[in-house]
Amino acid sequence: MNIKEQVISLEDVNFSYGQQAVLHDINLSVFPGEFIGIIGPNGSGKTTLLKLISGILSPQNGQILLFHQDISRIPRKKLAKMISVVPQESYITYNYKVKEIVFMGRIPYINQWQGETISDYLISRNAMEKTDSLCHADKGIHQISGGEMQRVYIARALAQSPKILMLDEFASHLDLNYKYEIIKILKETLKEEVKCIISVFHDLNLASYCADRLILLSHGRIEKSGTPLEVINNQNIKKVYRSKAHIIQHPELAIPQVIM
Amino acid sequence: MKYSSKQSKNNLYGYPNWRTKAFFVLSFGFLSILIIGFIGLNFGTISIQPQKIFSILWHHKTDDSLGLIIWELRIPRLIMAMLTGMTLAGVGGAFQGILRNPLADPYILGVSAGAALGACSSIALQYVTGLYLMHILPVFALLGAFLSILLVYLFSRKKNHLPMTDLLLAGVAVNFFFSALITILLAVSSRELHSMVFWLMGDLSTANWQKISLIILPVFLGSFLLIFSSLELNAMALGEEEALHLGIQTEKLRLKIFLIGSVMIAIVVSFTGLIGFVGLVIPHIARLVVGPDHRIMLPVSALIGAAFLIFCDTMARTIIAPTEIPIGAITAIIGAPLFIHLLKRRSETNEY
Amino acid sequence: MKQKIFFSFYIIMLAILLSFVMSVSIFSQEYLYPITLTDDSGAKITFNEKPQRIISLAPSNTEIIFALGLEDKLVGRSDFCNYPRETQDFESIGKMFPLNLEKIVSLEPDIILAFGELNQLKDITRLRELGLKIVVIQSESLQSTIQSIKLISAACGIPEKGDQLIYDMHKRIDQVISRVAILSSDQKPKVFAGSSFDTIYSPGRGTLFHELITLAGGQNIIGHLERWVKINPELVAQAEPDIIIIPSGIMNPEEITKIKNDIISHPGWAQVPAIRNQQIYAVNEDIFYRAGPRLLDALELLYEIFIETK
Repeated sequence: MNIKEQVISLEDVNFSYGQQAVLHDINLSVFPGEFIGIIGPNGSGKTTLLKLISGILSPQNGQILLFHQDISRIPRKKLAKMISVVPQESYITYNYKVKEIVFMGRIPYINQWQGETISDYLISRNAMEKTDSLCHADKGIHQISGGEMQRVYIARALAQSPKILMLDEFASHLDLNYKYEIIKILKETLKEEVKCIISVFHDLNLASYCADRLILLSHGRIEKSGTPLEVINNQNIKKVYRSKAHIIQHPELAIPQVIM
Repeated sequence: MKYSSKQSKNNLYGYPNWRTKAFFVLSFGFLSILIIGFIGLNFGTISIQPQKIFSILWHHKTDDSLGLIIWELRIPRLIMAMLTGMTLAGVGGAFQGILRNPLADPYILGVSAGAALGACSSIALQYVTGLYLMHILPVFALLGAFLSILLVYLFSRKKNHLPMTDLLLAGVAVNFFFSALITILLAVSSRELHSMVFWLMGDLSTANWQKISLIILPVFLGSFLLIFSSLELNAMALGEEEALHLGIQTEKLRLKIFLIGSVMIAIVVSFTGLIGFVGLVIPHIARLVVGPDHRIMLPVSALIGAAFLIFCDTMARTIIAPTEIPIGAITAIIGAPLFIHLLKRRSETNEY
Repeated sequence: MKQKIFFSFYIIMLAILLSFVMSVSIFSQEYLYPITLTDDSGAKITFNEKPQRIISLAPSNTEIIFALGLEDKLVGRSDFCNYPRETQDFESIGKMFPLNLEKIVSLEPDIILAFGELNQLKDITRLRELGLKIVVIQSESLQSTIQSIKLISAACGIPEKGDQLIYDMHKRIDQVISRVAILSSDQKPKVFAGSSFDTIYSPGRGTLFHELITLAGGQNIIGHLERWVKINPELVAQAEPDIIIIPSGIMNPEEITKIKNDIISHPGWAQVPAIRNQQIYAVNEDIFYRAGPRLLDALELLYEIFIETK
């Protein structure tokens, strides 16, 4: 893969909250078709890294490029058409209907004067279908379960027609069957318009299952970057997580799994 | 799920045609206001028959005392109530959206305290100087309101950012501070105390056509601007970060809503005093009726607010006629139980 | 023959004199209007003809109306107007603040006599906007009360009646003044006037009450302060008044006794001369607060009280 094809690239990125340094010397490249997982213990800077890549925070040093454009120069609305983010959890103030929430993913595309078009509705409906949330379409968002809500968030992110999809712990409330479903949907989008997916994982096994490449963070630095087999091994886990764990090979797939 | 390819005007892939919905709802709202307004015209100290009222309206008669009462006393008052209700409920809804706080009301960001201080100062000044300053009172109130807007903005601004918590806190702080000043002013005034307290409780009796002409443009212009931000306000409900991800410039939006809303409130409050509960409760009623989508909810909130205030004003000047109850007391008496009822409903059904 | 000529000459002279007098009175009526007067708010009001429908927005104005004999033209009065008793037969327009605009407008008054308290001013503005003629009266002294009587009588087309009333008032004032003039300052009792509520408001310089006290030969212990003030009770203990006057709206004897007892048992006042010597008087507050002809009743009452004490 040569540099020309990079979807995302971070060069020498450093970030501090005020005086507190959080991320140091981050260098990262993401190529088309990749599903990247960001893993690491609490406080290692995972969420901060995601916020930097999604444009919420600005680094003190270094450069973040999306499709070779400096992220700080991209107007917010344009950025919204490029990336969409599935949050870990968020509190929705008022009891909007599920279909209204998903529809909000179209906001970056809706012209104030002309209003929404039929395709906006179509895309929203498709997104709900894919995530199997269509049956909840008319329910209030405060009335559905945590798992259903996560699927709705994903639907909204999909409705936003992103080129880069970012997620933060997207499966924590999902039942096993939905975990499979969603991962399948996410990987399918990589065959369509979505160029790459980046997700933060707490669950190492899920990360290993989903991602093509893992970034292991420790104290704000990239400890190791590579395939799941390369990253999740006894040495790295012990060093970064400071705990013992047994790493075994998955019975069917060539990926490591961690058991306690 | 069955994929329905039916694309009727009312059903776009499961989404209602909200434009049609909005049209009907708003027409119904306008009509209701006209009807409530006409009913309100029938009430007052002097009883006038509906037919007489109708003929006075139709022929625009102002030559006799009844015509004078209708055209110069009751109608300006009703229109003022309508405009005030619109503003309070509309801005209340917008603030509840931008601050992501269902308990927000239009006064939360400090405007009202400033206006109140200005008004009470002008009343006190009249006694001290012996000058007649009644027509200057709205100017004083407006200046006070702008002062508090400026202070809230300065206190909450951080290097080109306008963080939400800071905005809220600054508003609360300014409210407290100005209220303290008002309390001192009330304590040292004896004769003018009655006037001040009456103004603080809301007073629509000074409405006249001139004041209406001053208010009407800012109110409608401001309302349109707020309604235009509906989509962005919807996005804000998802969360600050989520809204940013959807391309909303949240800080600019906050500043915009804060300034437009505060200026509208400042202008209205300068003429009518402080009328509470409308901005807090009516948006919730609107959400119950048409849902939280700001594109419909804000106009509906404004309409319900207008109708509600017309109703309250009619009650205020009828219940113990010939004396008037301050309208702020009526809105509180009706608004508080209503709010409690809404709260109970909300917790029971987890609705809206 | 000479007698007849003289007699007829006499009759003719009389006739001419009579017609002259009659025409003068007729023309003087017409010469009176239109008149433009300036009221106490500085506004200029023009009357094109004699007002036939009068509304009074304050008890003081109502008392003046009755004193001038204009009650046949009175069409509305405030709730508080209670003197003379006949006022109850007249239509009420409600409270003094806020004013019931609809009621006032519906009575179609030619002239409204308002009270200058700023509480009413916003409603007064409204009524003026509606084209009604309002004369604002604001009297804080005997002199300005007399002026207001002059103003009202002029506006209503009976200046000569006003002059008569004023003349009588002046006579009564002069009587009291002349008797007080011969008193030396230690013959003038120290007086404290206070309201009957928990928070004591006392009239200082610039109020009607203070003027009455001073004219009647008393020394107001609050005389160095301005207007109505909320005073610290220590001031009373310190000033040691000889007489305490309590203006009260309630005039039934049991209530009066209660009020007096409250004053007597007020903490810190046990050594005050007025309390030791039981020189505490409750008076009808109406005649002290209302800027009308009954102020003279108040003046004379005070004089009687002061003379008795000393």
